[in-house]
Amino acid sequence: MKLTRKAALVMAAVPVIVFVTPVGSASAHGYVSSPPSRQAQCASGVVPNCGGPQWEPQSAEGNKGLVTCSGEDRQDFAVLNDDSKPWQVTSTGTSLTMTWTFTARHRTRDYEYFIGNTRVHFVDGGNAAPVDPVRHTINLNGFSGRQKLRAVWNIADTVKAFYSCVDINIGGTGGNPTPPPTTTTTTSPPVGGTWAPNTYYAVGAQVTYGGSSYRCLQAHTSLTGWEPPNAASLWQKI
Amino acid sequence: MRRLVIAIAAAVLALAGCGGEAIVPPGQGGHGHGATSAAPPVPAASARFNDADVTFVQMMVDHLQLGISLSQVALAKATKQEAKDLAGAIDATQREELSMLKSWLKLWGKPETGGADLHAAHGGQPLLDDKVIDGTKEKSGAEFDLTFLNLMAGHQGAAVEMALTEKKDGSNPETMAYAERVATTRQGQISQMLKVISEQ
Repeated sequence: MKLTRKAALVMAAVPVIVFVTPVGSASAHGYVSSPPSRQAQCASGVVPNCGGPQWEPQSAEGNKGLVTCSGEDRQDFAVLNDDSKPWQVTSTGTSLTMTWTFTARHRTRDYEYFIGNTRVHFVDGGNAAPVDPVRHTINLNGFSGRQKLRAVWNIADTVKAFYSCVDINIGGTGGNPTPPPTTTTTTSPPVGGTWAPNTYYAVGAQVTYGGSSYRCLQAHTSLTGWEPPNAASLWQKI
Repeated sequence: MRRLVIAIAAAVLALAGCGGEAIVPPGQGGHGHGATSAAPPVPAASARFNDADVTFVQMMVDHLQLGISLSQVALAKATKQEAKDLAGAIDATQREELSMLKSWLKLWGKPETGGADLHAAHGGQPLLDDKVIDGTKEKSGAEFDLTFLNLMAGHQGAAVEMALTEKKDGSNPETMAYAERVATTRQGQISQMLKVISEQ
């Protein structure tokens, strides 16, 4: 393992060889963030208990040309193909703007958008790395009602593609996504209450945690891992 | 033996988010030195480590610095308050993490630099570099917010991948506990960002 790692580092130092480096561990990843794709809903917590896609929404990877939401390289992403999950549906007119999030830059062959087996939109990537923000406005004329829009990012430097499915309802009231669910709304803390995740704290807010009191140093919405003893830059013990 | 167990337990408690299980018993918090407002001691990493630990920490040093740079731009330019608050919190927490990781590399006798090259070796051009960050300064309003949120969500997504690799291949307990906290906190940040993005 150590030898392999070192060998990979040495090989990667030679540009010509980088091109043929196996793609399995490459972090050339991306997904549709808006309207919220299925994996974006897993990552934001709108749809719970997704497994892999909650942690790596960018990794729905597979060979090019698949009819899939999961990419099929990873079995723990198969949940993305499950139409019975409570995916949030975005109401839209016939014009819809898609936004991509990338975790690394790779040269891009093209982007394709499908409903069923019909390709409804194509964007040439020019064999260049994406420049943020990457947005495509697609025309859905001829389609109506509930549809599963499949977005594909075909990268140019490996045989792979990245897949995102977005559940949409065409003929709704416009291009705006449905409002976020109330379960994700942050709450106002009680004065001097116990620290809780997903709570907005203003500078000066006071909480108790583990029997100690803390004062907020930096306005933020709290999250697991930012408990006061774990984030001295956010919380001062008093 | 008992001292060792206590030391390890204290280090893990001080470091780990551990999926919300990081419960600090009363009187045994990260402070515990009688000071009322002093910063807690920076957790030291033990001397036992492997190549994966070093790679992860060096890559994180580079990654944290890029995240801080992007946050600095957002603090000046973001229009949505959620984006500005998140940038401030990322800036603050990543500075704290950065000084901890640098102290570990010093302890291990390893250089701080090299993280950017390691990123390249681990799968292509990183999402962020100075040029990309400079490019965001030319945007404003909703356009800036959207660019920042997607860039930061992607940047932190890469951190989750690095942390999951460390959890699999690492050996140093403090570094693996830190990786756990990186995975948890970045996932939480991505969740917050995706919600704001979906409201655009």
